[in-house]
Amino acid sequence: MSDIIDTFNVAASGLSAERLRLQTIATNMANARTTRTAEGGPFKRQVPTFEAKQLDPFGDELDRATSRVEVTGIRSDGRPPVRVYDPSHPDADANGYVSYPDVDVMQEMVDLMMTNRAYEADSSVVEATRDMALRALEIGR
Amino acid sequence: MIQRVQGVSNAADIGQLTGAGVASASNFGELLESAVKSVDAAQTGADAQLEGLASGRSVDLHGTMIALEEANIALRAMTSVRDKLVDAYQALWNMPI
Repeated sequence: MSDIIDTFNVAASGLSAERLRLQTIATNMANARTTRTAEGGPFKRQVPTFEAKQLDPFGDELDRATSRVEVTGIRSDGRPPVRVYDPSHPDADANGYVSYPDVDVMQEMVDLMMTNRAYEADSSVVEATRDMALRALEIGR
Repeated sequence: MIQRVQGVSNAADIGQLTGAGVASASNFGELLESAVKSVDAAQTGADAQLEGLASGRSVDLHGTMIALEEANIALRAMTSVRDKLVDAYQALWNMPI
C-alpha cells in the first residue's frame, strides 16, 4: 500500500532530475564556443538520459505501477562539430578551419524553459500532496 | 471504557503516515510513545537536512523542503489524534452516572 510519503518521493525524484537537466543546459550554454577539452577537440553537447524506476518492484499491482525517475547518465551528443573558417584563431587547423561545438543556443533556451516548467509542475504535485494530507486531517474537526 | 479509547487510538494509525510502524504496541502508553518518537524522528531528520543546507554541506534544496513538509504533516497528524483522544476522554469524564 503506497502512502503519502511515496508520492513525495516520486515528485522529489522528478525535481532532482530537472535540476540535473538544468545543470547540463548550463554546461552546454557556457561551453557553446569552447574549442578545447581534456579529451581533445571541441566541447560536445551533453544530454542527460532518464529512466523510470519502479518504486516497489515486489509490491502488488498498484505499487508496481508507481515509478520514480532516475538519471542513468549524461551522454555526449553525437552531432559533428561546426567548422568555421577563421585562420587567425589559435585552434585553427592547417586549412584555417576551427571546429566549434554544435550547441544551438536557441534550442538550449527552449530546453531551459521546458525544464523550468517541468520543475514547477513537480513542485505543484508536492504542494497538492501536502494540501490533500492536511485536508484529510481536517476531517471531523 | 479504556478499551474504547484504545480502539480510537488504533484506528487513527499515525504510524502509517509517518512511515514508522506502531503495529506491535500493546497498550496505549507504548502506542503513544512510538507515535511521538516517529514524529520526533521526522523532525530531527528535517532539522539535520536544514542544517546541512545552511552550512553548505548539502545542496538538496527541494529535498530539505519536502522533509520539512513531511515533518509538518506528521506533527499535525499526531496533534489531531491527540485532540480526538482528549475529546473521547472528556466525553467519558462528563458522563452522568
